Formats: sequence, C-alpha cells, structure tokens
Amino acid sequence: MDYIDPHLHMVSRTTDDYETLARMGCVAISEPAFWAGFDRGSVESFRDYFRQLTDFEPKRAAQYGIAHYTWLCINAKEAENVSLSREVIAMIPEFLECKNVLGIGEIGLNKNTRNEATIFLEHVDLAVKHKQQILIHTPHLEDKYQGTRMILDMLMGDSRIDRSRVLVDHVEEHTIEHVLENGFWAGMTLYPVSKCTPQRAADMIERYGPERLMANSAGDWGPSKPTAIPDLIMELKKRGHSRELIQRVVYENPKTFFSQSKPFPH
Amino acid sequence: MSTKQPMAERSATQIVADEFMIARAKIVELAATLDRIERASGNVDDSKNMQLLVQGIHILIDDQVEKAKRVQLLMSRDYDPEWQNIMSISKKGG
Ligand SMILES: [Zn+2]
Repeated sequence: MDYIDPHLHMVSRTTDDYETLARMGCVAISEPAFWAGFDRGSVESFRDYFRQLTDFEPKRAAQYGIAHYTWLCINAKEAENVSLSREVIAMIPEFLECKNVLGIGEIGLNKNTRNEATIFLEHVDLAVKHKQQILIHTPHLEDKYQGTRMILDMLMGDSRIDRSRVLVDHVEEHTIEHVLENGFWAGMTLYPVSKCTPQRAADMIERYGPERLMANSAGDWGPSKPTAIPDLIMELKKRGHSRELIQRVVYENPKTFFSQSKPFPH
Repeated sequence: MSTKQPMAERSATQIVADEFMIARAKIVELAATLDRIERASGNVDDSKNMQLLVQGIHILIDDQVEKAKRVQLLMSRDYDPEWQNIMSISKKGG
C-alpha cells in the first residue's frame, strides 16, 4: 500500500533506509528541522543544515522514487539559546521559496521554559507573516501534557492562526483530544520506547476516527524505526479495518494537509 | 466530531484471544521488575518514581475506564492555565 510518512528525519538515516522505505510503499516523506544530536554553535551551521534539507536530501530520496519535503526552524531544545534562535529565524526566509519547503517546523517546547515559549511565539509570527503552514513538536514523557496545553494556549491566543494549517505531532492518549477538538491536525509518533506503539495508535484511530489524524515514525537519532508506518498498517489490517480507513490515515490525510502548502502537488 | 464512536471491529472476546499472550508477557515483566527491586539492597520507600509505579499499577486494576490516559496523566507534570502570566509571556496577535 502506498503511504506517506509526514515526520521522518532522514538526515539521521542511511541510504539503505531509503531503499527499504521505497520497497515498503513509502512514496513521500516530510522532514521537519530538528536537533542534530548536539547543540550547534552558529547560524552558519543551520544555514548548511537547511541546504542539506532543501537540496541534498530531496536528491537522495529521488533516487528511490520518494518525494522529499521539509520544514524549517530552530528546534525547541536549541531555542533555549535565544540570541542564536533569533539569528536563525532571521535567516529562514532565504529558504522559504525552495521547492520542497512546506512550512515552519518542528517548533514547540522541550522542557516548557520561558525561553522556549518566547522563541515558539517568534516562529509562529514568522509563519503567519509568510503565510506558512506550521508543524508542532510536543514534548515527551512527563513534560508532554503540560507542554501541549501551553502550545495550544499560544496558538489559540493568536487570532491570525488558521488551525487547519497546523499539525500537532507526538500526540498520545492524554493530549489527542485537546488537539483534535480545537480544530488542529494531530500526528501520532510510533516509537519503540518513549512514545506510542502501533497498537496504541490503532486504538486512538478506533477511538477518535480518522479525521485530521495521521501517523509518523520520527526516525531520528534515538532508537526509532523508520518503517513503523507499515507496522501500523499491519496492525489495522489484523484488526479487520477497511482499506479505505487505513489509506485515509497513512496517505490521504497527509496529502490533504500538505496540499495546503504551495510546493505540494495539488 | 464522533470522538465517542467506537470503531473497533473486534469483540472483547476476540481481543482477549488475540492479545492474551502479549498482555501475559507484560504482566510477567512487570512482576519480575518488582521482584528485582525487592531483592536488591537499599530502600525505595521515598522514591517518587516508585510511588508513581505503584499508583500506576492501582489504575490498571481499578474499576474505572480510560486507563491509558489516566496512567499518562499520573506520570505528567501539572498544567497551570495561568502559566503565561506567571512566566510573563505576552500573548501575540490576539
Ligand atoms: Zn521530529
């Protein structure tokens, strides 16, 4: 079955992973900018990273017939450094016209600090001014609930935000309802240890229905599995769900959401 | 939005049949972890994490619904709706 992985960090993956993804039916990927496993020292480091995301990765993906899209920002972990964050935010517009850029992301909170919230709001302002879609990172483990509520407060406090153009990722059982009932899109991240399993993601699909809901694998520097979406497809099939329902979550929904950005084929 | 509409195709009987071995293995894992703590030297009576584990286990066997969500909330930091005032974060564009 063809599918789209809407949140996959291919810079931390090998070319063999691209081949495996292609064999499993992955036709498109969106790769939000994130933490590199270490804190970067200067704005130039981010400029090179954005070149990698907008130039090199799309070519690597194309070799396997996979379309590669991306989102730009300085992630929440490094946003603790406010002056560096402001330099990066000022530089992002240089890349907004690149033909695989879908918007600003993944912005969000990490430890739910004042500095993170300040830089989050400055990213939101950048997105609004440039009419960009937004992809949100919500914190993990004990910080998730508090951080998700804080993020939603900031988004809902800004009347300029079109909620149908915002995807809130890494939702789990205790945060999904807040995201969906306020009109945002929600992404479930399938992760072996600290996030959500394919089984629990299938439970949330059964519980809340497929509207504005998608799943991703993250595939980052941590222990993660870039082929987690096929695991979810298998789990849903095993439970007897229809092909239409599965296709809606793993293909149609990401396509509908991404189509609101200029570079995505309509 | 039909948030309360169950979409499960399987009956409860079917789910127990399908998932008995998986759930059984998880219970044994948890039991063995508690045994390991018990056998080890030192005392965890004051450990916040140990208290959370015990409270989480109580949620599993109580008669209330939404167990996964309640375990998640148990293991979460509190949210204060006044956080923006407390941190003096200005509300933008509102
Ligand atoms: Zn990510």
